[in-house]
Amino acid sequence: MAIRLIPTELTDQERALQAQVRAFCDEHLPRGSFEPGLGMSSGPSKELSRELGRRGWLGMALPKQYGGSDRSTVDRLVVVEELLRRGAPLEQHWTADRQSGVVINRSGTEEQKRRFLPQIAAGELCFCIGMSEPDSGSDLASVQSRAVPVEGGWKLNGTKIWTSNAHFADWMICLCRTHDSDNPHQGLSQLLIDMKSPGITINPIVLLDGTADFAEVVFEDVFVPEALLLGQPGNGWEQVTSELSFERAGPERWITPVIIVENFLREHAQDLSPAAVDFLGHSVARWWGLRQVSLSVARMIDEGKAPALQAAMGKDMGTEFEQDVIATLQQLVDIEPSLHSSSLFSRLLARAVLVAPSWVIRGGTNEVLKGIIAKGLR
Amino acid sequence: MSEQDLLFETADRLFAQVSTFDEVQAAQASGWSQASWDAADALGLTRIGIGEEAGGVGGSTADVVALLIAAGYHAVALPLAESTMIAGWLANAPGVVLPQGPVTVIPNRAGDTLRLEGDLLSGTAHRVPWGRNADLILGLVDDHIVGFTPSQASIHHDVNVAGEPRDDLSLNGITPVLCVAALPEQDPQGLALVGALSRSALMAGALLRIVDITAQYTQERKQFGKPVGSFQAVQLHVVRCAEHAAQVDLAVQVAARECDRGEASFEIAVAKTLANDAARIASRAAHQAHGAMGMTQEYLLHQYTRRLWAWRSEYGDAAWVSTLGEAVVALGADHHFHIIADGSASGIEL
Repeated sequence: MAIRLIPTELTDQERALQAQVRAFCDEHLPRGSFEPGLGMSSGPSKELSRELGRRGWLGMALPKQYGGSDRSTVDRLVVVEELLRRGAPLEQHWTADRQSGVVINRSGTEEQKRRFLPQIAAGELCFCIGMSEPDSGSDLASVQSRAVPVEGGWKLNGTKIWTSNAHFADWMICLCRTHDSDNPHQGLSQLLIDMKSPGITINPIVLLDGTADFAEVVFEDVFVPEALLLGQPGNGWEQVTSELSFERAGPERWITPVIIVENFLREHAQDLSPAAVDFLGHSVARWWGLRQVSLSVARMIDEGKAPALQAAMGKDMGTEFEQDVIATLQQLVDIEPSLHSSSLFSRLLARAVLVAPSWVIRGGTNEVLKGIIAKGLR
Repeated sequence: MSEQDLLFETADRLFAQVSTFDEVQAAQASGWSQASWDAADALGLTRIGIGEEAGGVGGSTADVVALLIAAGYHAVALPLAESTMIAGWLANAPGVVLPQGPVTVIPNRAGDTLRLEGDLLSGTAHRVPWGRNADLILGLVDDHIVGFTPSQASIHHDVNVAGEPRDDLSLNGITPVLCVAALPEQDPQGLALVGALSRSALMAGALLRIVDITAQYTQERKQFGKPVGSFQAVQLHVVRCAEHAAQVDLAVQVAARECDRGEASFEIAVAKTLANDAARIASRAAHQAHGAMGMTQEYLLHQYTRRLWAWRSEYGDAAWVSTLGEAVVALGADHHFHIIADGSASGIEL
């Protein structure tokens, strides 16, 4: 059966929050005061993360008793879309705010919640994700990293790859095998890894744009105390799939090139071809529609529904459109984009050309998402 | 469950019974399904969205959109969009009273020459939906709402690519049965917007239907010993349909909600733009997933894809994209994201 989305809109309270965030951004992140990044890959800023934490804009949906704000997924959407569209540096808190805190709140022990959540909500902790491995990409159930029980905890060996921010992250939530089972979906567990633990080696991976935000993380006999097992031993597959499924349709899945098009309009307002005007109209239409999808999915999450298919559709549509935008922009303007140009539009476009292929890969490749959606339509 | 959900369910259940594959197929010859009209009329569905003083049962734009999504889902061979949403909009002008039977509205195509000279109406109107079947034909002419009957016009029968009647009318100095001053907002742009919203809603329904048809077919049809829907290349087509249908369905419902509040020209233009994109992309994907079977009149896919192709070209296709682009450029870079996030509330107006 066809999948339908329920229309929703911001409440007065949510609009008030939006106004606060806009005022904050105008004050702290005025245009020209920093070099904007592209979406989630915008670099870290501890100061900004702390400022956001101070205002209660991180870990928003976490319970107040653990330092959160008892707010909602929609509230978080309102905050992050304003920051993302300005290219604000969010990488210090991004992963912790979007998913690590949520997972710890859902699966963690009382002690873990007390230990981690207040610091996540304060913007003090940077988390990274240990899922993919050299031989384990979309097929996460095939992870080879293994933790064996030792006195007082676990001993972890293995290699994680494509880990964003590993070089400055404080903690990793690592998916590894703790039990043997004929069913590859069983016997996996999530461990909280202190990135300063002895036995961890971080090897940077340089990407097409010259940045080294990605890393390979090697674990050699890394000791993980018993108290840092997250959730039920052997239940890692369920925890990981729920972690991935709902977080997929956030604004970061369509908003990345908005700042590029905005600056295209700013710098080329006087020499727009009819095709460029049409593109500006068409792209705004698509973006408005995709934002309504994000908002609908966020509201469903807040209402306790399980919009896994809707979220997968949002990410698939949104990220493909992001790539379309970059391709069309290149056809519309006769410039050679350069990372060193004096034009912000040119710099952002050059970066986007180099990183756009990743947009439909990270967070679950679009091929895998399409498979999930197709199954859901049967 | 919202009022619109209830209305959709009621209409969906009714049309599933009367607007069957055979009925829609049979209606191709005349373009008209009497059984569907009688059933919808008996429940009052043909008068939703028309004020009570004009002979209707009232209801919001969101209500009418729910009805039209259901009508699109069942390819109902009737001028329901005209009789409810568009006629209802024209009937906001004081003095308009609509008959209980079918009403249609002149869509104001390029080349139309209708004009009022004193009390007399003359000229030609093109591509009037079900002009031959209507009890009353409404038009927006020289700041007036005019109404006349098919017997007052010389009618050239034509159809769109879906086989729906789209008739050309010539009038030679007739006295309209209705002629009242239009409200300020009842101008050609307003009519284009209401028409676009009506087509977007019908298209949302047809898109949802081709998702269901295609998902079912690709599970039943077996090749190489398994359902063709188990091949990833075929799944891609089904998913593309589903995504576009979900996007248009959501956009048109939000546009209707905003319309009930006031300014919604941006949301309507966006909904029609997304629906037009979807008509191209999802129809193509649905046909590819069906292979040759989708090309035959004996299989139901064409009842929906042909309507999508027809409705795409009605009440604006590429024109909305240019209009949106010009409005975005006029507001400038500083407003760009606010338009995306806030729609009409950002101040964008077409």
